[in-house]
Amino acid sequence: MTETSITGMGGFKDAQFYRQEALSARSYGQALLAAAKADERIVCLGADLSQPTETYLFRDQIPERFFMLGIQEANMVGVAGGMARAGDIPFAHSFCVFITRRVYDQIAMQAAYPKLPVKLVGFIPGLATELGVSHQAIDDIALMRALPNMAVIEPSGPEQIGAAFAATLGYDGPVYLRLSIARTKPDETTPLVPLELGKGLVVREGTDVALLACGAMVAEALVAADQLAGQGISATVANLASLKPFDAALVERLARQHRVLITAENHSVIGGLGSAVAETLALAGVATRFAMIGVRDVFAEGGTTPYLMEKYGLTARHIVERAVALRRRT
Amino acid sequence: MTRNSLSVTDLEAHALSLRKRVVQMVGKLRVGYLQQGLGAADIFAAVYFGELRLREDDPDWPARDRCILSTAHNTALLYATFAERGLIDPAWLDGYTQDGSPLEVNASERLGSLVEATCGSLGQGLSVAVGMALSLRRKGLPSRVYVILGDGELQEGQVWEAALSAGGHALSNLTMIIDRNDMQVEGHTDKVVAMDPVGAKFAAFGWNAMEIDGNSMAAIVGALDQARDTPDRPTVIVARTLAGAGVGFLEGQLRHVARITPEEATRAMGVLNGVAA
Repeated sequence: MTETSITGMGGFKDAQFYRQEALSARSYGQALLAAAKADERIVCLGADLSQPTETYLFRDQIPERFFMLGIQEANMVGVAGGMARAGDIPFAHSFCVFITRRVYDQIAMQAAYPKLPVKLVGFIPGLATELGVSHQAIDDIALMRALPNMAVIEPSGPEQIGAAFAATLGYDGPVYLRLSIARTKPDETTPLVPLELGKGLVVREGTDVALLACGAMVAEALVAADQLAGQGISATVANLASLKPFDAALVERLARQHRVLITAENHSVIGGLGSAVAETLALAGVATRFAMIGVRDVFAEGGTTPYLMEKYGLTARHIVERAVALRRRT
Repeated sequence: MTRNSLSVTDLEAHALSLRKRVVQMVGKLRVGYLQQGLGAADIFAAVYFGELRLREDDPDWPARDRCILSTAHNTALLYATFAERGLIDPAWLDGYTQDGSPLEVNASERLGSLVEATCGSLGQGLSVAVGMALSLRRKGLPSRVYVILGDGELQEGQVWEAALSAGGHALSNLTMIIDRNDMQVEGHTDKVVAMDPVGAKFAAFGWNAMEIDGNSMAAIVGALDQARDTPDRPTVIVARTLAGAGVGFLEGQLRHVARITPEEATRAMGVLNGVAA
């Protein structure tokens, strides 16, 4: 970003102000809007869904840089590639499943291979939708991790959205940003959580078990850690929002420091956080008691999020049960 | 006169030269994109010499025109055109498709921004062109965007998504040329799936649509002129081309990847030089 990039955009404050505003935003829509005010290269692409992808703010305030393409995600990704090649930084939006699985080849060829700054922003990760299998992204992290040049980020919640956005914008290449829809107004009083690409963050220090989580499962892991403490088990919790590049050094250190290591993700156990950790452990030659909390190798179904998380084993209780069982194993 | 002030006669001379290079390149390999190279030589000559504003010494010039070959596979002709236009060293053509050469079977951006987007996964080039056209228009640049599609490629659904958005966004700086050579891997395109009328389909999507003889330089130049003079819509030029055009004994043979013996290559070169039939 250059200071001169806002020249001629009368009415906006200085770029530094908006950069700071983006970094401290607790909603994606606010972060994108603030950053776009600081940087004229940022354009916003939609495939319907301005409301659920929080891009209506951009649409209403910077209409000349908002491009609504209609319900055609494949074309949107190609258009994003073309705009990036002409000097823009396009942010393309849809639900997680449609901005990844549906347009995989388009992403591979028009964003990942040329390492263009195409930012793919998806909402509704994993089982966090009532609509059913069509809208449940349980393999999106796996798909995006497999693409060379692609970065993959899933922040823990509103407290980490500003930092996740800044990391997304700051990476000179394609990024998949996996976000949850904010169901309630974010709590402005909780401290903001930083995010550095390629770095995990220990959010609670313990000694017996290490819980490694991303996205909404970070909160579940923290609840699990509280419950484990009640049983006399001390748990470390790490937030691994940067799924690619991945903090292998942190994972290796935690594996050496704890007898039990458990991953938790709102995603299939194949190809996501659990796989990334397992790959890291195997390559590092670290043997540990290990379990993966996530969607087993199954498709889910339509239902409320609490019901699905319970049925498919993605709650704090499931983490606790696995931790206790692994601790007992001789 | 064309945009770059070349005459139809000038362009026909370039097209003939391109055909000779194609025969030479594919003849050396004994197999390759011969038929579509000969068929589309007139289109490539018209676009790259008559139309595109490029800087040979600055391939990344932001205000340049863009041209995307969406199929990415008519590469003997594409690389011959780059060499003929002075965009790459003609000596590189000797390495065409050889291991380590950036002149791959399917064009990739290992060659730099001459290959404006790496395509070849069919149906994607028009979307990229739409993105470029939207971006260049937003910046107020005079650049024009050209994209060349194969006719079989129209069977891809993404083409029609992109066509809808180009028409909806009234991208008058965008021109698409469809190389209607009736040829795809399976055989004649119409035997695979009926596609006519092609132009009318795009007209219904908000495009200025023309169907022309894609082996008539005057017709191609006229269509490109009309595209530039159309202020409110993108233009599609459905260019009917003859596989093997210019070499009588090869004309009309629908072979996606053609084999050619050294004797046939010599004979083809003789035809193009006006000393054989």
